[in-house]
Amino acid sequence: MDMSLRARIRDGDAEAFEVLFEEMARPVFSHAFRLTGDWSAAEDVLSLTFLEAWRLRHRIDADGGSLRPWVLGIATNVARNLRRAARRYDDALARMPRGDPIPDFADQIIGRMDAAEQLAAIQQAYGSLRRQEQEVFALCVWSGLDHAEAAQALGVAVGTVRSRLSRARKKLEKLAAERQQASGSRQVKGDHDSVVRSVREENR
Amino acid sequence: MNKAERESLAGLLPFEAEPQLPNARRRLLKEFVMVEIRRSAERPRRRLVRPALLAPALALGVAVAVGVPALLGGGTPAYAVSKNADGTLTITINQAKDPKPLEATLRGMGVNAVVDYIPGGKRCSPQPRSTSFLSRQEARNPADGRPFHIWPPNTDEPGFRIDPAAIKPGQTAVLEFSVSADEKTAGIWANISNGPVAACTLVDSDEAPLGPPPGWDD
Repeated sequence: MDMSLRARIRDGDAEAFEVLFEEMARPVFSHAFRLTGDWSAAEDVLSLTFLEAWRLRHRIDADGGSLRPWVLGIATNVARNLRRAARRYDDALARMPRGDPIPDFADQIIGRMDAAEQLAAIQQAYGSLRRQEQEVFALCVWSGLDHAEAAQALGVAVGTVRSRLSRARKKLEKLAAERQQASGSRQVKGDHDSVVRSVREENR
Repeated sequence: MNKAERESLAGLLPFEAEPQLPNARRRLLKEFVMVEIRRSAERPRRRLVRPALLAPALALGVAVAVGVPALLGGGTPAYAVSKNADGTLTITINQAKDPKPLEATLRGMGVNAVVDYIPGGKRCSPQPRSTSFLSRQEARNPADGRPFHIWPPNTDEPGFRIDPAAIKPGQTAVLEFSVSADEKTAGIWANISNGPVAACTLVDSDEAPLGPPPGWDD
């Protein structure tokens, strides 16, 4: 039987690492973008995450499932300490290809006129969470890890993941309710757009 | 965490679409990362070999530069092939423009190899270029313990190391090098074919530039 991807990467097989990059580049970029809210920072996080993963490959257990939690955990750490990670690889970052125009994320999400406003509102609500709550939310909700995987990614207990997620939910629900009240009775309860719409109206 | 729970949480912060990195950008960043991790194996020297750096190795008798035919304008060889004491060869490429002189040099040294340079955004067609490549397992762990492509190179010397002893009579080695915009080599894919190898026609691609697609030998 072929050695697992895990074992091959741990043993320094660059070809296997390339396969990991192919699999994980998209989820890592999305995760990084959501944590940083910045396209160019997310590209830095993407590159640094894989440079870190290669450096830390000796820590991989040969046995185990997908490397997704491990890689997303590294990405979370890199995004949290971007400057520190960038210092470690300052030589490499100087060689990183740049100069492409940065795509406008608002154009990408949808053709709707209020896309940028909506994004800003989401980021504002997300920004009201503590960093640890943001990380758990991004890993579990947006990147689809389960509690145990998120715990593994962050190096914390499963119970910690649950309680951070629960705090995040309470805050976001409270925020949604407050904004709903502030924006008057037109809001339909449970409308997913409520947070967004009410923030926009508040800003008028 | 179940689906309903995830969906109800997602509804609190409704990102309507995934922020997507365009393919071309992802490919560039992948090439960058792959070059860097290969470079990290070459420390402490990080640059491709220059004649001044090669000189001490020559003096120590560690390696003998054999094929240095094509010179760049400034007298720097476009590539060099050095013979190591253990019979392996180290290939260094300073300017990856035309793969055929390197291929000819290798053939002149008795190495039956096909060499191609793959620029960004391209790949060889067809892939796989042979129906009788060694599987990755066979290529990495041959019976005599001497794989063709030696990785990591276990030497301070930059460049790619191959072992001609791995090529048995009738076999052909295939070397594909990915090339960055400044004509430096980024990565290598190497394998040995028991049978004929198709010529490489470069075609546009946003897949991985080197070798057959993932899963080809599963």
